[in-house]
Amino acid sequence: MRVEADELLVLVAGGDQKAFEELYGLVAGPVFGLVRRVVRDPAQSEEVAQEVLLELWRSAAKFDPGRGSALSWILTVAHRRAVDRVRSARAAVDREQREALRAHHPAFDQVTEEVEAGLEREWVRRCLDRLTTLQRQSVTLAYYDGYTYREVAERLSLPLGTVKTRMRDGLTQLRKCLGGVA
Amino acid sequence: MSLLARLLRREDLHSLAAPYALDALDSGERYRFEKHLRTCDSCAAEVRALSEDAARLAWSTAAPPPAAMRDRVLAAVRATPQEPSRMPEHTPQLPPHVWGTQPPPSRTRAPRERRPFFVPLATATAAAALVVASLFAVQARQTQDKLDAAQSQSREINHVLAAPDARAATGRDNQGRSIGVVASASEGLAIVTLSGYEQPPGGRVHQLWQMRPHAQPRSLGLFGQGDTPLVATGLDKSATSLAVTVEPDGGSPQPTSQPIVQLALKSVGFGE
Repeated sequence: MRVEADELLVLVAGGDQKAFEELYGLVAGPVFGLVRRVVRDPAQSEEVAQEVLLELWRSAAKFDPGRGSALSWILTVAHRRAVDRVRSARAAVDREQREALRAHHPAFDQVTEEVEAGLEREWVRRCLDRLTTLQRQSVTLAYYDGYTYREVAERLSLPLGTVKTRMRDGLTQLRKCLGGVA
Repeated sequence: MSLLARLLRREDLHSLAAPYALDALDSGERYRFEKHLRTCDSCAAEVRALSEDAARLAWSTAAPPPAAMRDRVLAAVRATPQEPSRMPEHTPQLPPHVWGTQPPPSRTRAPRERRPFFVPLATATAAAALVVASLFAVQARQTQDKLDAAQSQSREINHVLAAPDARAATGRDNQGRSIGVVASASEGLAIVTLSGYEQPPGGRVHQLWQMRPHAQPRSLGLFGQGDTPLVATGLDKSATSLAVTVEPDGGSPQPTSQPIVQLALKSVGFGE
């Protein structure tokens, strides 16, 4: 799957539309799912996902296979876009509303419950569960909810340095746990 | 800066690798960190590894995309040139400055520098691509009997795109529907597209208005069926925004309702 996406992306960079269709089949689900998880609003998610996928076509030549997998590159681009969108939307919400939202925000660990069945999902969920609470909260508030580490520190009432460390430890633990699963 | 201060600063930047991989930096810190990445080989390796870890978190979120999205993306792909210039000749070519990826023609371009392994993408670029892709998609769907009209419209579109000051922008309402424009202030021309808006019921129409400070809105025309773009001519340089209202059949001399969407024109060179 990973190798396939790498090869397809190289073909896409050469202007191969058939290869793009195949690549779409492989990555549209992960891209759309990730964007929707972060952006939440269905119409906006679709718009952002569309922009990301079109950007793949336009900028495929920027992908350098020597510097990481295609899939990781694609999801990184998608995540960056989703986070930018959700942050500009949040900036538009006035302070009072934000406070109200914060007061009604459900438990931080909701992500593990929202995750549906499926082998990949199951593994990620299992590995997230193995992190310490602070590691898990730091990683998921940033990645799934689009908060900056400063915002995460504020929400969890932790010093900035602690949050940075928890994020790093959380990601490294995930790597160890997910190690055997491709 | 003293060596110690520099080392401390470096240490501080290093600690941002994990937040960076999670996209948890604000834009200022992201910029500083990416600048640092270009000169720090060990960080690049670390960021790459952490980014791969972060990307695996994405796998638990995969979800089937809406079926119609595939058609839209593939249609846009057929009409959208790639970067750099690897596309066959017959594909509609755009002056690069319209996409927002290159400086205007008069400026010389700095030599390309080494970049981090993933490149942040300019939002304006994708926005412009979607606007323009929808223009060409519409052109491709014209039936034979509409060809003359389409050709004249196509000439206007090419005219705008060829203008040295052509710029693209999009705006959206709170329901995610959008308005897109490719405009040239020097030509007073704009091509405007609506997407996601249903045809209003009861024969009513979407009407486009030019908005200026201390001036009444001026009608720029009525949108046709579906997503056919509207070519607006004679725009004033001082126009500050475009607005769309729903009006009775045939349009109105002045807006009779609140705009359903508005788009500022500053980023496309108007409002002076």
